[in-house]
Amino acid sequence: MTAAPLPEHGYGLPHDVSVDGFRVDELIHFTLAAITVIFVVVAASLIWSFVKHRSGPALYSHGTRGSIGLVVGAVALVLVGVDGNLFIHTLGDMHQYFWNFKSAEAAQGAVLIEVNAHQWSWDARYPGADGRFGTPDDVITTDDIRIPVGVPVVVQLASTDVIHSLYLPNLRVKQDAVPGTITRITFQAKIPGEYEIACAQHCGPNHYKMRAVLTVLAPDAFRNWLADAGEDARRAYDPEDKEAHWGWEWRRFEP
Amino acid sequence: MSTAAQALAEAAQPIHPPPTSFWRQYVFSIDHKVIAKQFLWAGLLFLLVGGTLAMLIRWQWAYPYRPVPVIGQLFLRENGGVIGPATYQQIFTTHGLIMIFFAVTPVLIGCFGNFLIPLMIGARDMAFPKLNMYSFWTFLLSQLLVLASFFTDLGSAGAGWTTYPPLSTNVGTPGPGQTLVVAAIFVTGVSSTMGAINYVTTVIRMRAPGMGYMRLPLTMWGLWLTAILNALFVPVLGSAALLLLLDRNFGTQFFVAGASAVRGGGDPILFQHLFWIFGHPEVYILILPAWGILGDVIPFFARKPHHWYKGTVWAMVIVTVLSAMVYGHHMFMTGMSPLLGEGFMLFTLLISAPSMVVVLNWALTLWRASIRFDTPMLFALATVFVFGVGGLTGLFLADISMDLYLHDTMFVVGHFHFTMAAASFIGAMTGVYFWFPKIFGRKLDERLGKAHFWFTFVGITLVFAGQLLAGYAGQQRRLFDPFQYTFIQGLRGLNRWTSFFAFALFAGQFIFVWNFFKTLFGKAVPAGENPWQVTTLEWTATGSPPPFHNFDRIPEVVRGPHEFSNPEVRRLTGRDFAGQSEVLPGSAGPALAAARG
Amino acid sequence: MPGTNVRRTPADLPAPEVPDLHRYRLRRTEGEVTSYVGMIIFLGSWAMMFAALFFAYAVVRLRAPMWPPPDQPALPILVPGLNTAVIAASSLAVVLASRAHALGRHRRASIGLGVAAGLGALFLGLQILVWVGVWRAGLLPSGGPYPSAFYALTAFHALHVLVGLAALGVLAIRARPPRGTTRSAVRLWGMFWHFVGAVWVALYVAVYLV
Ligand SMILES: [Cu+2]
Ligand SMILES: [Cu+2]
Repeated sequence: MTAAPLPEHGYGLPHDVSVDGFRVDELIHFTLAAITVIFVVVAASLIWSFVKHRSGPALYSHGTRGSIGLVVGAVALVLVGVDGNLFIHTLGDMHQYFWNFKSAEAAQGAVLIEVNAHQWSWDARYPGADGRFGTPDDVITTDDIRIPVGVPVVVQLASTDVIHSLYLPNLRVKQDAVPGTITRITFQAKIPGEYEIACAQHCGPNHYKMRAVLTVLAPDAFRNWLADAGEDARRAYDPEDKEAHWGWEWRRFEP
Repeated sequence: MSTAAQALAEAAQPIHPPPTSFWRQYVFSIDHKVIAKQFLWAGLLFLLVGGTLAMLIRWQWAYPYRPVPVIGQLFLRENGGVIGPATYQQIFTTHGLIMIFFAVTPVLIGCFGNFLIPLMIGARDMAFPKLNMYSFWTFLLSQLLVLASFFTDLGSAGAGWTTYPPLSTNVGTPGPGQTLVVAAIFVTGVSSTMGAINYVTTVIRMRAPGMGYMRLPLTMWGLWLTAILNALFVPVLGSAALLLLLDRNFGTQFFVAGASAVRGGGDPILFQHLFWIFGHPEVYILILPAWGILGDVIPFFARKPHHWYKGTVWAMVIVTVLSAMVYGHHMFMTGMSPLLGEGFMLFTLLISAPSMVVVLNWALTLWRASIRFDTPMLFALATVFVFGVGGLTGLFLADISMDLYLHDTMFVVGHFHFTMAAASFIGAMTGVYFWFPKIFGRKLDERLGKAHFWFTFVGITLVFAGQLLAGYAGQQRRLFDPFQYTFIQGLRGLNRWTSFFAFALFAGQFIFVWNFFKTLFGKAVPAGENPWQVTTLEWTATGSPPPFHNFDRIPEVVRGPHEFSNPEVRRLTGRDFAGQSEVLPGSAGPALAAARG
Repeated sequence: MPGTNVRRTPADLPAPEVPDLHRYRLRRTEGEVTSYVGMIIFLGSWAMMFAALFFAYAVVRLRAPMWPPPDQPALPILVPGLNTAVIAASSLAVVLASRAHALGRHRRASIGLGVAAGLGALFLGLQILVWVGVWRAGLLPSGGPYPSAFYALTAFHALHVLVGLAALGVLAIRARPPRGTTRSAVRLWGMFWHFVGAVWVALYVAVYLV
C-alpha cells in the first residue's frame, strides 16, 4: 500500500476529515464574518468622510459626550459580541474536545500512540498486543501513522533533538514536540483515507521535508494491520538495537 | 519678554556653542538631531538589506530550485545561484531579525525618537546627550556583528528570528554565525536600553513650561510608552540572549534538553517564556510610535482636533500595561497548562478593546473634517487600513482553538506582517514624509511621493493578503519548498503571484530612494518653517532645520497639540490653527490661554 | 491652573533670601535631579534583567528532581555569607563618602571611596576563592543545569562588581583635594553600588541559602 494523499483544491481550508474539526472551522467562519462586518462599517465611514468632507470647514470638536459614547459603545459591543463569544466557545471546545485527554483515553477502543520526533522524521510506536509500551511486540513505524476511524486517538509526543510540531491540517490540530518533556494531542478521524502529517515548527534546514502520512483505516483493517505488524515486530526485535528502544512507559497526567 | 517659568527652563538648559570640528559635528556628535540622522541612515540601509532578503524568500517560493538572477550571481555563486535549504534558513532568519531590530527599530525609535522628543517637548537636547551618542555607536556595532555573521564558516544564524533552542544551540546550529547574531541581539538590546533610559528621562524632566502630560503630542506619548516598554523588557531579551550565549560557548545547560542533555538538562520552553515576555511587548514597541505619529498626522491633515485625545492616551497606556500580560498566546501549542493558556487568551482578547478605541478615534477625527490628501496623510490613512487588517486577523490567533489550526502557518506570518511590517513601515514612512522638511529643511517631491505611496500601499496589501490566504489554506511558515506537501500543491499559483507583487513592492521602494536623494542633493527649495501649517513646537517655535540649540528661546506651551479650525483662533489670526506656544493677538497672554486649556 | 511646572530653583540663579545658606547649597540642581531620575530608570531596567535571570534559575531548579543533584557538591555557605557582610560594609563606606563629599570634606570622601573599592576587590577575591573551591570539587559549567545556574548568576553579578569597583577606584583618585569630583558622580555610582549589593543579597539567599 503506497501512501498518496490527494491534493487539495482551491484556496480554502483543507478538507476536514475529523469529528471535531468543524468546531474550529465554525469559529473561523464566525470570526471571518464578524471582522468583515467591522471592517466594512469602519471603512465605509472613512470613505464617506473622504468623499463627503473632503473640503469645506472642519467641525471644531475635541469629541462630544455623544461621540465618545459611540466609541465606548462600539467597543463594548465588539468585546461582548465577538471577543466574549469566542472566549466562551473556545473554553468549552478546549475542555470538552481538544484538550480533554482524560475522556479520550478512557473511551472505548481509544488508540494510544507514542511519537518521537527527530530531525527529520516522525517515529511512531504502538503498544502491540500486550497493551504496554517499551516491550518487544511494540509496532514501530517511521513517517507512517495509521489510525482507525471513529475512535479517539491520543498521542504522546517527544523529541530527541530540537522542537518540532505535529500538524494535521485535515484534522485541524497541532502540538509541539519539545525535547525534555512529553506533550499530548488527541483527535478523532471521521473519514478513511490518507492525509498529510506536517512539521509546523522550524527545525533545521530540512524542516520542509519533515512530512509523514496519516492513514485512516476502517476499524477491522486497522486491527489486522496492527496484528500483522506486531507479529513482524516480535520477529524482528533486536535487544541489542538501543536506537530502537526510545519508547517510554505511557505517562499518566491525570490522577 | 519671557515668563518666570521660561527663565527657569533657560537656566537649566543654557545654550552651548555648537561644535566646530568635523568629527564632533557629523560623526561623534552628541546633537540629538545628528544622531537621529545617523539612525535614519543606518536603518534605511538595513531596510534595503532586509528587503533584499525578503525578495530571496519570495523568489524561492515562486521558482524553487531555480537560480536567482543578479543576487544569486553575486552571493550564491558556489551554488550556481540556487538557494539551498541551509542558505534558505539563514535568509528568513536574518530577514526577520534585520527588519525588526536593525531596520524598523532604528528608523521608528532611533530616528524619530531622537529627533522629535526634544523638539516636540521644547527641550534643547536629550537629558543625556553623551549616552545618546553611545547608544548609536553600540547600535552600529550590533549591525556590524550581523553583517560579519554572513562571512563566517557555516554562514549566518539559521534558527529563525525567534531563535528557539535547542535549534539555536550547538545542537541545531553550530558555527560562529549564530553566535555572532545572538551577540548582536544582546548588543542591540544594550543600545535600545540606553536609548530608552534617555527618552523616558527626557520626557519626565525636560518638558517645556506648560507642556503638561495631557498636552503632549500623541507622537510623544507613543514614543514615551515605547521607551518605557523598551526599558522594561529589552533587558529580559538580553537575559535570554545571555543564557543562550552561555549555552553555546560555555557548555551550560539552560535550554538544552533531549539527547544532548546532561543530568536532565534545561528547559527549551524557558527560553520561549523569556523571549516572548519581551517579544509581545516588542510588537507594541514597534506599533506605538506609529500610532503616535498617526495620532498627530491625522488631525494635522484633517484640520480638526483629535477626537477624544484623552481616550487615545489612556488606550495607549492600557495597551502598554496589558502587553506584558498576553505573551503566552505565542506558546499555546507548547503544552502549557490549560488554565494558563486560557488566562493568556482572555487578556489577548481584552487588548483588542484599547486598540479599537484608538482606531475609532481616528475614524471620528476624520468625520466632518477638511482633509488634505498630501503624501504623509496618504501614508497615515494606509497605516490605518493595514493596521486594521492586522489587528482584526489577530482575533483568530488570540483564540486557542483557532490557533490549533492556524499556529505556525502563513496566516501568522501575514498577520504580523500587516501589523509589524506594514503598519510600522508605512507608519514610519508617514513620519519620514512628514518630518523630512524639518530634518533636512527641504520637502520631498509630492508627485514621486504619491507614486511611492500607491506602489507601497497596494503592494504591501496584496503581498500580505497572499500570505494570509496561504495560511488559511494551511501552508506552514518557513518552508524551503512548500510544494513537498501535496495539500499545498494547489497554492503554487497563489505563492507565485504573491511573489510577483512582492517584487513590484520592492521595486517601488526605489522611487523613494530616488526622491530621497534628489531632494537631498538636487536643487534646494527651502521648506520654510511650517510647510504643513501645523501646531506642534518643532514646527511653530523654531526653524527648518532647527539650530544646534533647537530653540532660541525655550517656548512656553499654552495649549494642546491639535488646535485646528477653532473659530476663535480664526477670528483673531485668520488661520485655522494655533501653535502650541503661540500667544494670540489680543489675548491676555499665556496665563489666560493656559487657563482655558 | 497656570500651565507651568513648578520647578526647584537651580543653584546658579541668584539666591533668594535663605536663612541657611549651607542648606541652600546642598539642594540638588535641575541637572542632578535629571541624572538621578535617569539612574533610577536604568537600575529599574537592569533589575528586570536580573529578575529574568532569577526566573530562569527558578524554572530550571523547579524542574530538577534533586537540587543539588546527589553526585554534585553542595555550595559553601560561609564564605559567601562573609561576602554579604563585605559588600554591606562597602555600601556603608560609599554612603559615608557621599555624605563627606556633600559637606565638602573631599579627603574623607576620597578615603571612603577607596575603602569601598577595596572591599569590592575583597569581595571579588573571596568569590574567586568560592569558584576555585567548587571547581576543584568537580563542579563544571557543563555539568548540567545546577552548575550552569550557579556559574552564570555569580559570574554575571561579579562582572557588575568589577565595573562598580573600577568606577569607585577612579572616583577615589579623582575625589582627592583640591579638585574633588562632582557630587552627582559619587551619588550615581553609589546608587549603582547599592544596587549591585542588593542583587548580591538576593543571589546569596536564592542560590546559596535556600
Ligand atoms: Cu520538525
Ligand atoms: Cu503577541
